[in-house]
Amino acid sequence: MSNKAINRRQKWSLENVKTYRVAAEALPSPPAYSTSTVSNATLAPLKQVPMNLFISYMAGNSISIFPIMMVGMLLMRPIQAIWATKSTFKMMETSSAILQMLVYVFGHLVNMALALYKCHSMGLLPTHASDWLAFVEPPIRQEYLGGGVALH
Amino acid sequence: MANFRSIYKIQIFLTILVHVTLALYEDQVGKFDWKLSFVGKVKFVSLEAKRIIVATEENVLASLNLKNGDIHWRQVLEDPKDYKLELLHVNKEIVTVSGKENTWFVRTWDLNTGTILTEWFINTERTVPSLFTIVNEKLLHIVPIRGLQVEITSYTLANAENTNGSILKGISRKIPAAWLNKDSDCVPAKSYIVCAVSSKLYYVDLLKENSMFVSQSLADLVDNSAGKVLLIEYKQDVPSVLLLKNNIAKLGTFNGENIQIKPFNLMPNAISISNNGKDLIYQLEANDNKNKLIKVKAKDPQTGLDSFSLDLEYPLGLGAPIILGGQSKGSVTDLLLSTTDDALLLVRLPEGKILWTREEALSSVVASEFFELPISELDASIEHEFDSANDILEMFSHRISTQIKQFYNLVFGNNLLQNSGLVRDEFGLHKIIVVATRAGKLFALDTLTGSIVWSYRLPNVQSFIGIDNEEKMLLLVQRTAQYAPLPAHCVLLAQDTITGNGILFEFDPITGYSKAGIQRLNYKIVQATLLPYQDKNFLKPMLVLSQDEQAHVYPTQAVSLIKDHFSTMFLYVADTENSRLSGYTLKYSTEDSLQVTPSWNVDLAPSKLIAVSAKPANEHVHSQGKVLYDRSVFYKYVNPNLLAVATMTSDPIYNSVLSVYLIDGVTGLIIYGTSHKKARGPIHLVHSENWLVYTFFNERFRRNEVVALELYEGHWQNNNIAFSSFALSQLPQVQSQAYILPSIPQTMAVTLTERGITNKFLIIALTTGAIIEIPWMFLQPRFTNMPCGPEESCIPYMPEIPLHSEATINYNQTLSGIHGIEVAPARLESTSHVLIHGLDIFYTRVAPSKTFDVLKEDFDHVLIVLVLTGLIVATLATKKLAARKALKQAWK
Repeated sequence: MSNKAINRRQKWSLENVKTYRVAAEALPSPPAYSTSTVSNATLAPLKQVPMNLFISYMAGNSISIFPIMMVGMLLMRPIQAIWATKSTFKMMETSSAILQMLVYVFGHLVNMALALYKCHSMGLLPTHASDWLAFVEPPIRQEYLGGGVALH
Repeated sequence: MANFRSIYKIQIFLTILVHVTLALYEDQVGKFDWKLSFVGKVKFVSLEAKRIIVATEENVLASLNLKNGDIHWRQVLEDPKDYKLELLHVNKEIVTVSGKENTWFVRTWDLNTGTILTEWFINTERTVPSLFTIVNEKLLHIVPIRGLQVEITSYTLANAENTNGSILKGISRKIPAAWLNKDSDCVPAKSYIVCAVSSKLYYVDLLKENSMFVSQSLADLVDNSAGKVLLIEYKQDVPSVLLLKNNIAKLGTFNGENIQIKPFNLMPNAISISNNGKDLIYQLEANDNKNKLIKVKAKDPQTGLDSFSLDLEYPLGLGAPIILGGQSKGSVTDLLLSTTDDALLLVRLPEGKILWTREEALSSVVASEFFELPISELDASIEHEFDSANDILEMFSHRISTQIKQFYNLVFGNNLLQNSGLVRDEFGLHKIIVVATRAGKLFALDTLTGSIVWSYRLPNVQSFIGIDNEEKMLLLVQRTAQYAPLPAHCVLLAQDTITGNGILFEFDPITGYSKAGIQRLNYKIVQATLLPYQDKNFLKPMLVLSQDEQAHVYPTQAVSLIKDHFSTMFLYVADTENSRLSGYTLKYSTEDSLQVTPSWNVDLAPSKLIAVSAKPANEHVHSQGKVLYDRSVFYKYVNPNLLAVATMTSDPIYNSVLSVYLIDGVTGLIIYGTSHKKARGPIHLVHSENWLVYTFFNERFRRNEVVALELYEGHWQNNNIAFSSFALSQLPQVQSQAYILPSIPQTMAVTLTERGITNKFLIIALTTGAIIEIPWMFLQPRFTNMPCGPEESCIPYMPEIPLHSEATINYNQTLSGIHGIEVAPARLESTSHVLIHGLDIFYTRVAPSKTFDVLKEDFDHVLIVLVLTGLIVATLATKKLAARKALKQAWK
């Protein structure tokens, strides 16, 4: 996105800062720099768990807009992140990161479990018989009865 | 999707509607409800210049406007079942005598306002039929005692000095009359009492002291031919009486001890009207003219010559008339006529025009039913677009023509296609109510206006006598109007007045048209029911059970249709005379012969069967269970074959015991039974879904009580696919709770909605004339050891049911003599139609969960349109601005 914009701008730009920028990007990473980012990214979801727990606790079990939004975010973010695992790790430019990837996905799954537990404690999961009551069709009657008080 | 939405809404409304307060706003009064007031079949009448004072069979005293027949005031006296009006006399004030056997109320009323002025009792020892008359401001009570004497007691009404408290004291006098027998027929004629006994006429002048009966041979007075002579009262200044023999009446006038018979013949309904001191006899006669069937004749009372004769513009739908009364003023004479179908008409002479007609038959409705209107021609043509699906060209032309019509309607308004205006509306709020009346006349009323759409008179038809001497006819809907172009089809079952045999009348409830007319059956009807299957014309066959336990099916060819279902069809009959409930099966029938075989019997004798209630046939139960506080489900026991039966037993200790049973109508199994000691009727049962509500009077605490019973299967449903009465593994669990009703109920009903999603309301008619609605939630039995609060949508138990004035659905329109409540669903799930009939007919709509499926009346359509367009405009504008800004930025 930013590259594109810069490129587009370069078309019309007559300034002389281009070389400077390229030079900045071309700088080599310091030793052991890249590995630390990979492990950081891998452990980030697990590090979020205590924070999420705290937020869940603070939000309470009442059903109102903010707890619902929070639970929604809690549930949606890990899903999005798991979906984008490959691209995330591609950016890290590490090829042999299967284990890290698994840890990363596991961390997100933990977050999701947390969100589901929150949903459950808020009563949003259809886990009770009463949640399915509206779909119970009335039984079909087998016999038909007619009649009334004898008229005379 | 619609299902989801409705469920969502119900969830919301269940939580919101814990404390239901529903009422009408002042500007909503009369918007969708209407009331028709009646007085009943007129018994006595007195025309007083600009008003007509009537006293009726329904024990109503009323003043009608002479010009238009509107009720000026109306006083409803005691229940007509026990008390009868015996006398109406109008002088400066109105005097009425009403009572039974040996107790009478003598009341005087103000002529202008109808307020009661005085009230006295008359109490006699004898309980024989007696007469009342007023002579010279004195009330005479005439008691003929068989084989002994005539006792005459005279009471002075002018002053209250001769009263003992509220009991009127009179001066008695006895005139020996040893000739009185059970065939004797006595009528008052001014100061005379005239009696006809076999071949002799006896009369006495009461004004003379020590006067004795004078006898005359009837053979000398009227012709010698065979037949009994009947006496008819004839009101004029000279004491006179009509002697009726073989339908020819002779006028006899009294003078001292002589009777003079006028030498001309009269009709039995002849009356005398005086105009400036000159009397004329008016009577109605049949006319040869086919268009004007009735003519009115005026005769000179001395010579009997016709003074004038006039053909009346008599409407065709009405029955044969008689003259009740009349008055003359100048050249104008008003005659008040009553017909065999209880209508009241005023005829103004000399034009012979009918000024107004009152259909008093509507004061005694014995059966009622709501009917949906047919869809308009245009909608029908849209609906039938794919009926001829073979021919593409035809379908194309059909589509084009329909859309042209639609466009035409859009431009010119759609009145052109609605030939009668009786077209179904979107929400099913416009319906037709068909009512059958005791007089044997059918009426169709429009729910929007309350006007009579059509009426049909059935001659020689009377209603059946059901439980507790309740008069009823059966109205069965064989086909509704939803099968256009086939018309709706309805059947009325009643009784022939002469033979007591059944009468079957098939008609189209929307137009009142009957192809076959009245069919007189050759058997007596015991019960009838509709079968749940439709034939190829969408007609539900009707099964009629005759007194000799034979089944008849109408239409007869439908037997082949139901032949596969014989083993699943059952009948029950509650015999009130023998307190017995019997079940029948059709299992052993063949296509050639229908066999009604008794399958079970429940003998409740010596208790008296006082009420039987089945569930409404068209009821839907949406929710199959109740959600408990722990979010588990308690499944309802919804048995469509369940009957509720109430019996009363006299008991030496507890006076009387009320027992209520729940009996399966297919198997005869008693599922539940309970009893209440020292209970008294009347009992009202309301049976719906999985519950029963009944009211009774508790003699011990002297209050009316309501009991609610609710049946549950438990935490597991026995069979969630099919319900069979035979497949009962264990008895249902019954929850019950009792409440105090701080008023006296007269009749009860429960609301009915299209899909049964909406909450239920009980509609209770009170003796005060109010109709109140009580949410079922107030009465629903609470579960013991379970929390009850707003979170469980449960109202904590209150022993006394609160009757808020806001719950009165008829606001200040007091209804008298309420007889029944008819409820029908609208197409709108939230709404149900309610018709209350009795002396008044009141129609309204109720929405137990408020109208959650329609926008409020005050919903601001303009505002929402403005806001939406504003937002759209703003979005477009900001988009444009944003683009401009981005461009500018790019140029920087």
